[in-house]
Amino acid sequence: MTWDIVVIGAGAGGLSAALAAQDDHVKVLVLEREAVLGGILNQCIHNGFGLHEFEEDLTGPEYAERFIDAFHERGIDLRLETTVMGLHETRNGFVVEAFDRRAGKLDIQTRAVILSSGCYERTRGQIRIPGERPAGVMPAGSAQRYLNIEGYLVGKEVFILGSGDIGLIMARRMTLEGATVKGIAEIMPYSNGLTRNIAQCLEDFDIPLYLSHTVTDIRGADRLEGITIEAVDEDFRVIEGTKKDFAVDCLLLSVGLIPDTMVLESLDVKMHPHTRGPKVDHTFHTSVEGLFACGNALHVHDLVDDVSEESRRAGRCAKDYVRKSLGKGETQLELIAGEGIAYTVPSTIDLSRFDDLIRCAFRVKRKAQTATFKLIQDDTVIASRKARFVAPAEMEHIDIGPDDLKGGHAPVTLIMEV
Amino acid sequence: MYDYLIIGAGISGTLIARELSRFEARIIVVDKENDVGNHATLANSAIVHSGHDPVPGTLKAKLAVQGNRLYHVLQKELDIPLRKTGAFLLVQHQEEIPGLERLHRRALANGVETPALLDAQTAKAREPMIQEGTLAALDLPSTMVTYPWEVAIAAMENAMKNGASLRLNYEVKAITKMEDGFLLESTEGSRLRSKVVINAAGTFADRIAAMVERDVPYRITPRRGEYYVLDKAVDGFVKRVLYPLPGKNGKGVLVVPQVHGNILLGPTSDYQDDKENVANHAADIEKIRRDADKLAKDIPYDKTIRTFAGVRASSTYEDFYIEPSKEVPGFYHVAGIDSPGLTAAPAIAKYVADTLLDIGKHYPRKSDFDPFRTKTRAFRSLSDEEQRLKIAENPRYARIVCKCERVTAAEVVEAIKGPLGNDTLKGLKKRIRAGSGLCQGGYCESEVLSLISEVTGKRPDEIDYYRKNTPILKQETKVGR
Repeated sequence: MTWDIVVIGAGAGGLSAALAAQDDHVKVLVLEREAVLGGILNQCIHNGFGLHEFEEDLTGPEYAERFIDAFHERGIDLRLETTVMGLHETRNGFVVEAFDRRAGKLDIQTRAVILSSGCYERTRGQIRIPGERPAGVMPAGSAQRYLNIEGYLVGKEVFILGSGDIGLIMARRMTLEGATVKGIAEIMPYSNGLTRNIAQCLEDFDIPLYLSHTVTDIRGADRLEGITIEAVDEDFRVIEGTKKDFAVDCLLLSVGLIPDTMVLESLDVKMHPHTRGPKVDHTFHTSVEGLFACGNALHVHDLVDDVSEESRRAGRCAKDYVRKSLGKGETQLELIAGEGIAYTVPSTIDLSRFDDLIRCAFRVKRKAQTATFKLIQDDTVIASRKARFVAPAEMEHIDIGPDDLKGGHAPVTLIMEV
Repeated sequence: MYDYLIIGAGISGTLIARELSRFEARIIVVDKENDVGNHATLANSAIVHSGHDPVPGTLKAKLAVQGNRLYHVLQKELDIPLRKTGAFLLVQHQEEIPGLERLHRRALANGVETPALLDAQTAKAREPMIQEGTLAALDLPSTMVTYPWEVAIAAMENAMKNGASLRLNYEVKAITKMEDGFLLESTEGSRLRSKVVINAAGTFADRIAAMVERDVPYRITPRRGEYYVLDKAVDGFVKRVLYPLPGKNGKGVLVVPQVHGNILLGPTSDYQDDKENVANHAADIEKIRRDADKLAKDIPYDKTIRTFAGVRASSTYEDFYIEPSKEVPGFYHVAGIDSPGLTAAPAIAKYVADTLLDIGKHYPRKSDFDPFRTKTRAFRSLSDEEQRLKIAENPRYARIVCKCERVTAAEVVEAIKGPLGNDTLKGLKKRIRAGSGLCQGGYCESEVLSLISEVTGKRPDEIDYYRKNTPILKQETKVGR
């Protein structure tokens, strides 16, 4: 049996992509590592999901449920508790090497693959925090899982490094569960979380946020006993004489998420140095023919609504690919992150399939009260958009249409003017 | 009453126990930790050096070169990982050339296998990522890397198979010389008697010795070394161990390919008073980068997954101190085992058994000594067909728990139940690598916890991270499923 599309991961991205890709003519199989659908949404029991997608304020599990219900209604094929360990190219597609808890080792043939395996959390080792290595230091998402899924609190006296959204959400969550959150340190001069989370999770609970601060020592031979934070200058160098000690039994890290692309190891996929996900064109096609990517496996999002929307488009593109046998176009127009822009998704536009407006996602490099985003081709501004209160923590979008391209195949550069 | 009691279940203590277990004697190893190989054995460069570095004529020189050869035997008998990397010692400045030549002569004098001086071009052709300014290299082809704590686990398992005992969580509080031997008492009041006591207590060797001797002939001067670990995705970045010219404080910062494909960068070298504190320091972490950059170019630091530190049991005595007590017959020192201690350990064990204790004179050889330990092959290393057979045998092999290192549920359960089983998160990480990869346990930790809970019957919040009383879950809430 050969599938048309195998979707790896049934979180927000995978569910949405599968729903968009499957129809009477396109056979879709979804592989999910966990025993339930929904991915990380299951542990996000706070609200704030669905404001764009459903114009409702839902919790993570409620949001997932909408997609899961639709998924079951459509009867899309599914294997739960199945972990993909490798992808191998064949003459007309891929063999997906997977381990199914019940069925054993599987070699699944498919024409196309959508990678929607989400992301993993940066760890202490990756950011090289000095100090001892006791129990009690863990990524905030792990703590969230232990609390909301397993039902265990990982600490009573808590400090959080990094003001990413998971850190902010966990500050509130652990406070409500009876822990004392002594503060959050953020190395940047601004928070990396959504503005609404700063207000609702920190300010409402009087949890201090130490901007331009980082953790410089961790103490405790066996169990965490305390940490030290220090202020840093604009080059992130520690400023002498700014030490503050906190006696805590738990240090949570909310220091960034990285697309989980481990299953791509055996393929020669061009990766994006900034997002650390694969590079894709505007149809979410990676550099490997037949391999698509979406959701947090492509680039890390702030809002699940954006993941759903983007993955729906990825699902449709993968479906077009298998139904219309649309190969990867020869002419890929380059989209360049210029002044003030950290990255764009897509990285290229496939000109052979550029027939409608496309929505380009990007992040800015620094905060600004007001900004103008400009798409420039051959020194000519081909599109622009004004925005207020832009920040690296909030993903931005700009639309670009086929009619905008005045300069033929010349690269298009996106810049931010303040 | 035991015949031989060894204090310390590090690489020296466990290999000594195995060596002694060849004879009809009653042997026990005690350690204050809840696992074997927990200090210097756990945190070091994992290199089986060629033996090029120690001063000729010293015990270090003799035992390192012998130890290097004995690792091939251990690989066959104990099924330990060994990667024959070879090594280059690199210099970048003209004034370092005499030092390089001196080391070459020293390597020859120590009996190292085929050391050779190479010009920059030859070295570069064989190891393309060495730094641009490299002037010359000393090729040390017999250099290897191993997985140190697995060697200790394997040695102890094999010693136990041959009748030796192990008491973990046994912290020696007092040693009393009796007429027929020694009486040991632990901090928890448990007593053990033995005719002979071998002190292989690592950084605590001087403290143990002081329980028996008035004038301990050495003092341990703990020397901390810090490291970076790069993810196994960098496998092949360099093939060989890269050394700089050694300095006053040891071998310097190295680039070390590991048996599982990771690369270690380090160690630094700083004396400290604390025997156990293995904290990382910001200044050392920076120094590692500066020094490693002198050896190799474009080191993929973005693949760093962890930093760690270890403490070497250096001593005020320059060589290994492997001697009988000058004051108390029956008490033996195996002390000051710093670099090249891991390399020398198999030879130290033989030296202790044959020369120091002359055990053959006191006890007959066992006729049924079994030198072999067969390890269950890691699932990830099996062929497709073998994997399918394993799954047919036990369906739990089809559940991948640790995605990064491809560890299955069956392997987690086996490692908990194994002959030297362990039911802590880090103990399992040491044995089967669950949590050693890119995500450092982010994906698998909760599943490993629930497997430990299932096998041992402990509640999740009773399961330790590693040492006693280190649960990662503090309190059950009402949210649980």
